[in-house]
Amino acid sequence: MAAPLELYCWKGDWGLPSVDIDCLTVLAYAKFAGAPLKVHKIANPWRSPTGTLPALKTREEGSLSQPSKIIIHLRKQKYNADYDLSAKEGADTLAFVSLLEEKLLPALIYTLWVDSKNYVDVTRCWYAENIPFPLNFLLPNRMHGQQLEKLRLVRGDPTLEPGEEIEKELYRDALECLTLLSQRLGSHKFFFGDSPSSLDAYVFGHLAPLLKIKLPSGKLQQHLNSLDNLRQFCTNILVLYFPSEGRDIPNRKMSVHTDGSDFDNEPHKRRNQILSALFAMGAMLGYAILTGIVTIKRTHPQEALVSAGHDDGGEDDED
Amino acid sequence: MSLAAEAFVSQIAAAEPWPENATLYQPLKEDQILLSDCASSLAVQAYLRMCGLPVQVRCRANAEYMSPSGKVPFIHVGNQVISELGPIVQFTKAKGHSLSDGLDDVQRAEMKAYMELVNNMLLTAELYIQWCDDNTAAEWEIRRKMSAVGWAGKSLEQVYEDVSQCCQALSQRLGTQPYFFNKQPTELDALVFGHIFTILTTRLTNDELADRIKAYSNLLAFCRRIEQSYFDEQDKDGQSGSSRFSKGPSLI
Repeated sequence: MAAPLELYCWKGDWGLPSVDIDCLTVLAYAKFAGAPLKVHKIANPWRSPTGTLPALKTREEGSLSQPSKIIIHLRKQKYNADYDLSAKEGADTLAFVSLLEEKLLPALIYTLWVDSKNYVDVTRCWYAENIPFPLNFLLPNRMHGQQLEKLRLVRGDPTLEPGEEIEKELYRDALECLTLLSQRLGSHKFFFGDSPSSLDAYVFGHLAPLLKIKLPSGKLQQHLNSLDNLRQFCTNILVLYFPSEGRDIPNRKMSVHTDGSDFDNEPHKRRNQILSALFAMGAMLGYAILTGIVTIKRTHPQEALVSAGHDDGGEDDED
Repeated sequence: MSLAAEAFVSQIAAAEPWPENATLYQPLKEDQILLSDCASSLAVQAYLRMCGLPVQVRCRANAEYMSPSGKVPFIHVGNQVISELGPIVQFTKAKGHSLSDGLDDVQRAEMKAYMELVNNMLLTAELYIQWCDDNTAAEWEIRRKMSAVGWAGKSLEQVYEDVSQCCQALSQRLGTQPYFFNKQPTELDALVFGHIFTILTTRLTNDELADRIKAYSNLLAFCRRIEQSYFDEQDKDGQSGSSRFSKGPSLI
């Protein structure tokens, strides 16, 4: 029996096994296909073998990042959730995944990363709190830039800026996509019969964050909430396949540093304090040396010759 | 098109019937036309013919600049200008012509999904191949789009694989039916025809792509059927002023 494959994912919150769309897709597929995975839930993408999350470490093919590639690899290892699908259903899967990527994903990127209220109050806040020091100062803004760039390219508009007009267009497409998904799902438990397939994993991955993450600007959320069958679909999968995540909700509040979170950060806090103090001392010392308040006596013969020859930069040599 | 403009256009559209002098503008056919633009233009022409709406085709070197959104093709109907298949379908619907009214909700969802599949895979593949073929046309723009959608790292071989996969999906969905939703063509049929026909009939440095598509005989038959039903009667008309759609050899 081969050793279980290792999967690196963003950690979870709000009752989700992961906060990231691609990670959720892969985690869901692995559960559906019964793939034994050793899951590393981290909040530092630099610790992943590929530098991004999700990442699957394989023995034969190195590390894979894209959900589609990860799913294909799992299928090759005989963990196939699409085994029972007919040829037409397989084709439908491809089509509906395209629909998700083209019509829903841009709006999701917008609502989580570009909408200023949501980004500042929720997304950036979460990443800044969860990514370890000092990357938490660097990564959230960088990710924001990357997501905005991605959105611009997918829409073919290099000058795209957050605004009412673009928001309306994106949300209109997303609303239509959600409605179409709801119509296609109907009253079934999963998209193709009674057992879940890769399409269910993709849909879950895209919808679950929208359902669970509490956003101040929640137009898209409201529409999803009004589609009962989709909401039920997501909740169903969470209950059946990720029952342990539900316990996390009470601890995570978005803006309050309670005793609970202080306790979690305690070791980091001490380390941060020491590092800050060292840094400050180093800065002061460097400044002092550069301006000549403090001089370091050197005893090299060349130095003595030079200082005798012309003025030093240090004015305060003779006080 | 912005939402407000769309609503406005729909209202005006509903008021007037389709005029006789409707015109479709596309870029010139020789070197300048992008594979993807050619396919989009053909798709729109096929759609309009399926609706029984007459349209003349004009090629203009500066078609992109004439278009309100910068995208081609666009149609000039009465005193309105609308570009791209999606808005054009909405526009004709407002005038009372629609091919997808008879579909139920599930079928409409499937239709939209398959149209996105074509846009996602075939359109992007056409852009990629065009970029490989002649590195001149809007190269850096295409390259940036490729990296956004994760295609920058793809080799040509992988792109061919993706196209095969897309065609396989389309072929499986089509099955033995004459059109994707059985007896009547819809905008999906027009879109698929536009892309597949363009890929098959455009001379590229490498025929591998066309060969891969030819492996799906029902798709070939589907293209021939549409060509025969909707484009062949043009041969009899004396429309000499406007260029006809056929770029090179036909499939028949």
